[in-house]
Amino acid sequence: MTLTDPAAATTAPHHPGGSGPVRGDGTTTRTRARRRWRAVRWVVGLVLLGAFVTLLLALLRPPSSDTRYAPDAAGPDGGRAVAQVLGRHGVHVTYTRSAEKAASLARAGTTLAVLPGDSYGDDLSDADLDLLAGTHADLALIGPSDASLASLAPELTWGWGGGYVTTSTAQCADPDARAAGSVTSTGGGFLPSGSATAGTVTTCFPPDGAEAGTGSYAVVDGARRVAVLDDAAILTNAHLAEAGNAALVLRMLGRHTELVWLVPEADRAADATDDTGTFSLLPDGAGAVAVWLLVVAVVAVVWRGRRLGPLVAEDLPVVVRASEATRGRGRLYRAGGSRGHAAAGLRASTAARLAARLGVPAGATPDSLVDAVARATGRPTADVHGLLYGPPPPDDAALLTLARRLDDLESEVRP
Amino acid sequence: MILTWRALALAGVLTVAVLVAPTAATVLVAAVVVVGACAVDVALAASPRDVVLAREVLPAAVRLGGTARSVLTLRNGSPRTLHGVVRDAWVPSAGADDNRHPLALPAGEAVRAATRLVPTRRGDRQAGAVTVRALGPLRLAGRQASLPVRGRLRVLPEFASRKHLPSRLARLRELDGRATVQVRGEGTEFDSLREYVIGDDVRSIDWRATARRGDVVVRTWRPERDRRVVVVLDTSRTSAARVGDQPRLDAGIEAALLLAALASHAGDRVDVLAYDRTVRARVRGASGTRLLPALAEALATVEPELVEADWAGLVGQVRALVSQRALVVLVTTLDPAAVETGLLPVVGPLAARHQVLVASVADPELDALRTARDSSADVYDAAAAERVGLERAAVAGILRQRGPEVVEAGPDELAPRVADTYLALKAAGRL
Repeated sequence: MTLTDPAAATTAPHHPGGSGPVRGDGTTTRTRARRRWRAVRWVVGLVLLGAFVTLLLALLRPPSSDTRYAPDAAGPDGGRAVAQVLGRHGVHVTYTRSAEKAASLARAGTTLAVLPGDSYGDDLSDADLDLLAGTHADLALIGPSDASLASLAPELTWGWGGGYVTTSTAQCADPDARAAGSVTSTGGGFLPSGSATAGTVTTCFPPDGAEAGTGSYAVVDGARRVAVLDDAAILTNAHLAEAGNAALVLRMLGRHTELVWLVPEADRAADATDDTGTFSLLPDGAGAVAVWLLVVAVVAVVWRGRRLGPLVAEDLPVVVRASEATRGRGRLYRAGGSRGHAAAGLRASTAARLAARLGVPAGATPDSLVDAVARATGRPTADVHGLLYGPPPPDDAALLTLARRLDDLESEVRP
Repeated sequence: MILTWRALALAGVLTVAVLVAPTAATVLVAAVVVVGACAVDVALAASPRDVVLAREVLPAAVRLGGTARSVLTLRNGSPRTLHGVVRDAWVPSAGADDNRHPLALPAGEAVRAATRLVPTRRGDRQAGAVTVRALGPLRLAGRQASLPVRGRLRVLPEFASRKHLPSRLARLRELDGRATVQVRGEGTEFDSLREYVIGDDVRSIDWRATARRGDVVVRTWRPERDRRVVVVLDTSRTSAARVGDQPRLDAGIEAALLLAALASHAGDRVDVLAYDRTVRARVRGASGTRLLPALAEALATVEPELVEADWAGLVGQVRALVSQRALVVLVTTLDPAAVETGLLPVVGPLAARHQVLVASVADPELDALRTARDSSADVYDAAAAERVGLERAAVAGILRQRGPEVVEAGPDELAPRVADTYLALKAAGRL
């Protein structure tokens, strides 16, 4: 809405270059807000759409991790296939990476599966192992480390077989092993250790060429049942379907309806000590000061960011110089090495100027011009002829010399 | 909404409090203080949209190199006192350097703010929006609005070549009967008889009148008057290229203005036409003191157009403008390609009816290129410049064979050279 002051309009004289009284720019807070909304609504819409699509993808995609042997890892070395089959048969799988949590969940009547963590060495600290050893749950040790084996299944030691993939058959009375029939394994197998009470240890699936009594799978029946499998690859998505792997693993883990699935986190202990990293060197309250400095920076940005009105655009005139075409022609001569053309141009215009100065008519023969120039300068005729009508210069230096000598010749004829 | 440096200073002062007690609560309180103070200031500032604005440009038209003033009248229509600043924005070439004016305007009062304009380009220079920034009572923050207010400054051609006018007028008087040195010949007409004074050419003695009067009487002569002069400015693409620090067209306008001033003093009738494919400006029938202002006004807004000139149409325009014999001055450039395809085919018939003068704006930079000898690259450029010079000379030669006079000069010399050629043609009676 443009308001015009009627009193001012009638009294103000007419000025051709100016404008009468103007009040406001015809906008209100409402129209300005609407205009701004119209300007940004596509951007806002796109951002919202992008956020919605991202959210949708995140929700629709089944949770999957990259952790080896994890029940939610869908990769070749993950364990999702086993976990899903177990879940379908009524086994509730609780996945954890913390030994403390696993120990607290592992009550009697549950199965505690301990799998290898990220590191190939000792995944579990001694304290963790003590915690796990103190639980009453049935244990399923799959691919145990030396420390785990010694702590959780002291009745067993490592055998000396394997190293390559072997398919071995169950050669024992364990019902789980008999149901599986045969399994693939690259592990070394287990042997009863000296501390084992006779009759409590059953070993199955002896690897090829291993010592008698060795087995890739062993069961220790004691206060609780401890089933040990030497190769964790058996339960991965990649190898589960081979031989009788699936049967063995499912029976191992599915003895109870509650399964605690522990994949120890190797760096957890290290993280705890690293918590006071670089930032621990800063004094207390540094974060608050940093936030405040950010506020100050925002104030400075708003102060400097708003200019006093928009720039006024100028309709610019042509800025190409008239000599550009000539310079371009010179560059073409140079790029093409056209010394002949260049020299001819220099000679022709020098000849034209000399002829005009000496009164030689435009249509005269070269010889008459050469004679006239030779007379005027006292130079030999051959010299003048060579300058004005000689062969093209062989190189750039010769061209430069020719140009300077033509200048000299012209200056000598100057009246 | 805008913030001032005071808002930053407030935030800076509160930094001390945050440093003394670096807790989240302190930061929150300090932020609330800054935001709250700014919000209160914005709320209490006068509304810039309640300002009644008017813009005058005094004078509305100024010659290039002159100065004008853009006067803003602001009346505070809001109920609060307006503290702040106003910016009178113009395009850069209007030369409004000092265009920010502080304001302290009580409610209902009015004030004028004058901005000096020193335009640097010919043509209509447009004003931009007027930006009013109103600060709150704490001067921490405020409101700002850019309000569209029309404004225009017409910048007329500089007519720097008017410095050549006195000497050419003196030459014109020499041609005229008022001077003692008599010029007699074709193209002059009998003026009057007067007594012989020593120094007069004895051939101009009128023996019959001498016998009648008993005293030696000479005839005096004066150049022909009331001839028609048509100046045609070529505004096509070739006039857009820059020569020196201005487009070719501006040098042509200088030449047209000087020639028009001279010819109108000499008693000839001057028509000016700016043409490429259509008529861009036309001045006809103006004479005496009205001619130059009319020309300046008409040529002020003529800009080069990036189109090829339609020379056949131009000849039609000239034919429509004058029927009798006239001096037709074509202000263009001798670009060999453009001349061969455009001007050459039509110049012969035109020259048969009229005296044609082709005035071409040469490029002084070519001379600099021609004489450079510092490196082999320079020599190639020099060879190219020589070639271009030869081609232009050849085109000029071909044009002269068809009848027209050809004048080629740099942007500063073109106007006096055209004037001299006009005087020479007039003296020779070839108009």
